[in-house]
Amino acid sequence: MRRLHPARATRAPTTTRGGYERVSIGEYIRLFSDGLVAGVAVAILCAVLSVLVVLKRLAFMGQGISHSAFGGIGISMLLGLGAAGTFGVVAGFCVLMGLCIAWIADRRTTSADTVIGVFLVGSMALGAILVSISVRVRPGPAPGWEDLLFGSLLAVGPADAAIAWIVCAAVLVTMVWTRRPLLFWAFDEASSEAFGVPGQRMKFLLMAMLAVAIVVAMKLAGVVLATALLVLPGATALRLSRRIVPVFAISILVSLIGVLGGLAASFRLDLPPGACVVAALVLFFAATWPVERLRHPATGRGVGADAAG
Amino acid sequence: MTDHAAVEFQHVSYTYPGADAPAIEDVTLRVEPGERLGVLGPNGGGKSTLIKIALGLLRGYSGRVLVHGQPPERARRSGIIGYVPQRCEAALMFPISVRQVVEMGAVARQKPWRTTSDEVRDRVQRCIELVGAGAFVDKPIGEISGGQLQRAMIARALAANPKILALDEPTVGIDAVGQRGFAELLDTLHEELKLSILIVSHDVRVVAAGCDRVACMARTLHFHDAPGGLTPQVLAEVFRHDVSSVFGDLHIDAHAADDCPGDHVHAPTASGARNEGADDHEGRV
Repeated sequence: MRRLHPARATRAPTTTRGGYERVSIGEYIRLFSDGLVAGVAVAILCAVLSVLVVLKRLAFMGQGISHSAFGGIGISMLLGLGAAGTFGVVAGFCVLMGLCIAWIADRRTTSADTVIGVFLVGSMALGAILVSISVRVRPGPAPGWEDLLFGSLLAVGPADAAIAWIVCAAVLVTMVWTRRPLLFWAFDEASSEAFGVPGQRMKFLLMAMLAVAIVVAMKLAGVVLATALLVLPGATALRLSRRIVPVFAISILVSLIGVLGGLAASFRLDLPPGACVVAALVLFFAATWPVERLRHPATGRGVGADAAG
Repeated sequence: MTDHAAVEFQHVSYTYPGADAPAIEDVTLRVEPGERLGVLGPNGGGKSTLIKIALGLLRGYSGRVLVHGQPPERARRSGIIGYVPQRCEAALMFPISVRQVVEMGAVARQKPWRTTSDEVRDRVQRCIELVGAGAFVDKPIGEISGGQLQRAMIARALAANPKILALDEPTVGIDAVGQRGFAELLDTLHEELKLSILIVSHDVRVVAAGCDRVACMARTLHFHDAPGGLTPQVLAEVFRHDVSSVFGDLHIDAHAADDCPGDHVHAPTASGARNEGADDHEGRV
């Protein structure tokens, strides 16, 4: 039997003892099954994108897009939308922010990190203002900020799991379909247009895929930790291999082990799942340090170091 | 048969958005099929603008540009020009081998549902052998030397099966040995593939030694003829704003150039050797 804190057991059985819900392992798995199913989809989705995120050094971009979600959450709360509506609005808002950041940064009048920083704080401020207004306009329960920031397995329902798999499948199909121009652009952006590769389209496509991946991952890992899923698996894989297919395979494997291991730790220790998943992925990344040292004995710097740094 | 030029510029001018002065002005230039044309000029002289217009990457120019009789945008879509960029622009930590980089050039325009055919693989292998990249073809792209990387980039451009090869500052970051090897490689490509070759460089040695004709650009076209006609006066006129960075330690004194009093222009011979007799106004490069 495991204890479940009341605040985290809205879907748990009603048996109580000493202020805590007590559930069996079977019930626990039943409670978390949607979260586990969604977790596998999120792991695969983020793993394939994380390779490109690390190679294109877009980790801060991921932070910017994920924090933009606050603005979308504020809008959906003000409109009083349900789960599906909220997902649509937040995803749309994140995609819009991602495209705006890419477009403005592309004009080279302002550096990319400045643009990202402005959008990041601007969206968070917008979200806080809109949530505050919506609480006044529509009195009701305040949003679960802890779940929003760090994720919650119990917040993941069947609809979320289905959306995660649909998005995962759509992104994988898109990446396979555009593999040649996408990889060409990622490898040599400056020359891509000269080779007939639509570089601008590839950039906006990747931004859009990142945005929807972040929105899907957010339920599980929270706004703050979602981007970790888009950096750590790829950074770890790139420390272990210098071949593109093994890099993608290792990234998926690391991500799956990290997500499932993190969720198991979350179950065992009754800790926030997002934090446990990210901690597991950080441990993986740190454990590959000796490989990096062997490969680059002089500096110890490699792709992962560049991207994570 | 066709009498189209490989690339033809007719009174072409282009001003970048927001710029006060045009980057190139009234340039008329013709690259014949099978010809090796070197475009020489100082930094900011409009060389790269010229190559970008030929590649169909810049729009809004005035005048007329044709690439094998087609507008540049259409020529780019059909892969008529193979492009070799400056080496520093690619992401060298990318986890791909030299062979995969060359394959990228061959399949960049291929439809997504088509698998890589044997014909494409054979072409990739032929390009690898042609540029002499066989010894390092399976190495990760980030673990090869600058000269080897340049060969890989040339092979990638050739794998697209172009009719014209355009090289942007091909010797930047390449040592003297690599530069000699590059000149030999260009000769081989020219003989084997009968390609038209367009080299953009600020290095006189590269252009003078490896090209059939030279075009000197400093916003406008100052010279367009065989390298033998390239005098120190012409070079002084073209490079007057950027003399030292262009000629380095090569030594030809062309201070007598009328429009450039006081400038000491150091120009090389076509073979790259010092031309100590260039004090003479008639000295040829």
